[in-house]
Amino acid sequence: MISNAITLMIAVPLIGAVLCFAAKSQARIVALIASLVPLFISLQMYTGFDKTSKLMQFVESYNWVPSLGVKYTVGVDGIGMPLVLLSTIVSVLVVIYSWGEHDRANQFFALLLLNEVGVLGVFTSLDFFLFYIFWEIVLIPMFFLIGNWGGPRKSYAAIKFFIYTHIASLIMLLAIFGLYFTYRMPDGSRTFDMLTLIQATSDKVLFPPALINLIFAGLLFGFLVKMPAFPFHTWLPDAHVEAPTAGSVLLAALLLKMGGYGIFRVILPMLPNVDKMFVTVIAIIAVLSIVYGAFLALAQKDLKKMVAYSSVSHMGFVTLGAVAFTWLSIQGAMFQQFSHGLITCVLFMSAGTIQHTVGTRIIADLGGLADRMPKFAVLMLAGFMASLGLPGMSGFVAEFTVLAGSYATLPFYTLIVIFFSVAITAAYHLWSMQKVMFGPILPKFLDVHDAHTYEIASMTAFILLIILFGVQPALITDIMGTAAYQVMEPVKTLAQMGVI
Amino acid sequence: MFSDFAYLIVGLPVLAFVLCLFFGWHLPRGGGFMTVLATFVGLIISWGIYKEMPALPNGILHQSMPWFANFNVGILVDPLAIAMLLMITFVVTLIHTYANAYMDGDPGAARYFAEAALFTASMLGLVYSDNLLQLFIFWELVGLCSYLLIGFWYRKPSAAAAAKKAFLTTRVGDVLFLLGIVLLYNNMVSLNLHLAPGEYLLQFPVIYKYLALIPPTQLTFVALCLLGGAVGKSGQFPLHVWLPDAMEGPTTVSAMIHAATMVTAGVYLVARMFPLFYAAPNALTVVALVGAFTALFAATMGLTTFDIKRVLAFSTVSQLGFMMAGLGVGSVVGAASVGISIFHLIGHSFFKALLFLCAGSVIHAVGTNDMREMGGVGKYMKWTAYTMLIGGASLAGFPLTTGFFSKDEIIVTAYEYGLAQSFIPYLFLVLAAILTAIYTFRLWFVAFTGEPRSDYHKHESPWLMLGPLCILAVFALGFGIVAQGGFYDYVGTNFDHYGVNFAELGVIGGHAIEDAEGVAAEGEHAVAAEGEHGAAAEGKEGGDAGEPWYIQILPIIIALGGILVAALFYYLHKFDPSMITSERDPIRKLLLKGYYQHEIYTQWFAEKVIYGTAIVCNMIDIKIVDGALNWISEVIVAFGGGVRRVQTGVVQNYITAVMLGVVVLVVVIEIALQVGFV
Repeated sequence: MISNAITLMIAVPLIGAVLCFAAKSQARIVALIASLVPLFISLQMYTGFDKTSKLMQFVESYNWVPSLGVKYTVGVDGIGMPLVLLSTIVSVLVVIYSWGEHDRANQFFALLLLNEVGVLGVFTSLDFFLFYIFWEIVLIPMFFLIGNWGGPRKSYAAIKFFIYTHIASLIMLLAIFGLYFTYRMPDGSRTFDMLTLIQATSDKVLFPPALINLIFAGLLFGFLVKMPAFPFHTWLPDAHVEAPTAGSVLLAALLLKMGGYGIFRVILPMLPNVDKMFVTVIAIIAVLSIVYGAFLALAQKDLKKMVAYSSVSHMGFVTLGAVAFTWLSIQGAMFQQFSHGLITCVLFMSAGTIQHTVGTRIIADLGGLADRMPKFAVLMLAGFMASLGLPGMSGFVAEFTVLAGSYATLPFYTLIVIFFSVAITAAYHLWSMQKVMFGPILPKFLDVHDAHTYEIASMTAFILLIILFGVQPALITDIMGTAAYQVMEPVKTLAQMGVI
Repeated sequence: MFSDFAYLIVGLPVLAFVLCLFFGWHLPRGGGFMTVLATFVGLIISWGIYKEMPALPNGILHQSMPWFANFNVGILVDPLAIAMLLMITFVVTLIHTYANAYMDGDPGAARYFAEAALFTASMLGLVYSDNLLQLFIFWELVGLCSYLLIGFWYRKPSAAAAAKKAFLTTRVGDVLFLLGIVLLYNNMVSLNLHLAPGEYLLQFPVIYKYLALIPPTQLTFVALCLLGGAVGKSGQFPLHVWLPDAMEGPTTVSAMIHAATMVTAGVYLVARMFPLFYAAPNALTVVALVGAFTALFAATMGLTTFDIKRVLAFSTVSQLGFMMAGLGVGSVVGAASVGISIFHLIGHSFFKALLFLCAGSVIHAVGTNDMREMGGVGKYMKWTAYTMLIGGASLAGFPLTTGFFSKDEIIVTAYEYGLAQSFIPYLFLVLAAILTAIYTFRLWFVAFTGEPRSDYHKHESPWLMLGPLCILAVFALGFGIVAQGGFYDYVGTNFDHYGVNFAELGVIGGHAIEDAEGVAAEGEHAVAAEGEHGAAAEGKEGGDAGEPWYIQILPIIIALGGILVAALFYYLHKFDPSMITSERDPIRKLLLKGYYQHEIYTQWFAEKVIYGTAIVCNMIDIKIVDGALNWISEVIVAFGGGVRRVQTGVVQNYITAVMLGVVVLVVVIEIALQVGFV
């Protein structure tokens, strides 16, 4: 087993990003190697992962700013491990998908790698200070990806994305300070250690209801904006519509997962300590995200915007499963994070490929593309089927598990979701598929060619993974099952584990 | 020995799917022989298992392994499943063989056989799933294959639209099915059962074992939700609208998916969960009414259609209604109704597959679906004409054909049900049976007799197509008389292998109470209550003997009468349809318009209500949700613009501002300390 695996996994793409800037023409090869190494490391970690343990694994901890109680602490458990795996997989396949990018390629690939650094850091940090730094680092490459390689309204979208999510981050930071300044270690010092602080919130004397509710609301706001959940979702469609394909893929597949990760890591362990009203509020937000998001997707005229709203709808399942707070629903919600991360890549890649082979994404202007793009059509159809929850693919497993688990504690909300989302979701996928791909080929598209080999390869890999995890979800859920127990129990801090 | 290879029944078609998908393009006829072979080996294995089953524990084959969380995957072969397995592998092998000729020369042949193989695998997997979740998974996969194959000629807008409609309409039913699974799962969880190793909550044997502990109202909810799924898949009213449109697919697809196998999955689901339906108060009554009404409703539409495949499609909907009604009357006759209904299911799959393949043979030659352009086809296609005549006779219930035994058993049982509960299903079914005989022979006479009404190719189809027709014709003719008695007993006693106590379930479902008052049903339940092997079936036979003679022979009169009416109108031309109806007849218009279903479902519900809601949501999102955000940002920008003027450059002003700020800060901190935040 590699020692310091996590640090290495974060450092390699960071070094790779610097090299990419320098390597003018061969940037994509540097990027591919620099993203394959983390994938290899995360696969090593996955095989070496103890599925039965409720403790943090691969922990590394060093003092950073001792006077402030800031440490460099990283480690993964059943919550983080699948997302680390997802991040490394998606990063490699996005680099492959972007193989044909020639516009300032060195900067482009460097930003992709920098993004990987940020998300891996978020999913492994166990110190709030470090967590926040990585959380903010992620904004930078995405801001430039949208702002430099984006569509016609790229400036508006980039700034809206940045300000909206940044304000949410600041409010989250205030809440973190609330935790930091309230709690003192037994020796009187302050700490940013995540697990310690989260565990401390169960102390009713230290954290009176008014305070803990305020802190909780701040954290929750930060995470919900990132997910994004209704009514904080409006930055997402704008960002997606203008972002380049690779940017959209990373945004939907990885950046949104940071919000979900925060829910599992921070929100759920605190949930038993806060006002019960929060459960109702979060459940309503989840249901509205799912149902309202699905209806919004149905109304869209731009294929990419439709896919963007489908993300809002699908991420609602994460919120619903989490707040339902049963063993099964939490597992389902975690699996939905993983599964949506894979599926949404295919959807955004489909929209992107159509955009740059045909020149438009407006659904009404397209028609009969399957005739000229047969391979691409198969992959897009497979992706759409996965997204609408076809069994045999990962999305179904996740959504079914969420619904079956949520009914026990939130029957009314679950019923609404089943009634209003299952059929609507199928409707917008099939409707757009029919308009875009089927029917007679429009004369103006007669000389359209099939997608590039690297695009086909990347999408095929995603489809195979979606089927693999749909047929054999235990590969991931075995890890999550333990993690689901873990978030429902009092958190074990690293000190209690004897790690530090 | 064969039992160890049960997984191959699904495995081989999956292999054929992969091979056809990737290599079929380079093989003759799209690699269709692989699909045929995979299915045929499945038939052999199924037959082997059938022979081995009596020697297995409890007379059933059950294999299971864990999947994820607390769900499993497994194989369960009992008499009900093996009957379906044998029928599907047999009929589908023949249809695949036929398709090798039918699809020859189509550039998409490889895609066809890949999708057909995937369908075969999914359908077989559905039938021998050992738990409800796995059944649902395959249920959705057959839906996918149906979508892909209806839209096989995807360049045709009508085919693409029909595919989407089929998927979405059945999806509405699947919403309820999914809900039913979620409800059942949570009810099972709340029982706090201590399951043995290898037992899982959604496994059928476990459900049978513990369902009596679930509250009866919950059982009814679950049963009605599952029925919702069945209604969607089996094209029952009100979700039947997709099935006639599904005829846009190749005719082999219509024969395979939309006649013989997939559409019967809904009936199979109700049969599979029969103990639950039996224990759920009022559930079977709903099943009986839905089925009987659909049988009649669809038959009326079959009368006025001119598209040869759509006539057969309406007929399928109608016959599926018969099967549903056959299960529904189980509230009076008990589990024997499963045998009766499944017998019709299997007989129907023979003669309806035959009819579709014959229609395909005709369409292949004539090049149109419209019966008005055919006429006299029988002169040039003798084999097709006579095999189709056999199929039609069986469908119409001509004495001694398969359809005669299977359909009439349902009608007679419905009479028993009438004596005990209500005569409505019986009435609907009798009327539907008359119409069935009429529209079937209308079709045959119009297409095959008389003079050619258009200039079509006058040739018989190749033997690769005629062979399957002849084999199916033999079964459509003889299966009923050979298999009748033994089959009812074999499938009707399916649940005895699990030790299901129907007497106890009947008390929960409220059937036993009705028995005390009812006359006809009393005998059966007395027998069933003793719990003897095959009790239900014996009770059924006992019931039969008690029917008056006119009830017994009524079905024969219906069939012959219907055929006679059709012959008078369309063969002998003694009468003309215009003598009864005119173009302006409102009933005729209603039927031709298909009861305005397109207007109601598509134009009003889908396009106005659902899409309208979406548009409204979009307006809200732009104007209110995002609008509020833009408003806030404008306020901030305006505020910034105002604040900019504060920067006057006059030092005194700055000092004043700083002082004010300090005061405000002190006040805020003071308040915070009072409240106790810091």
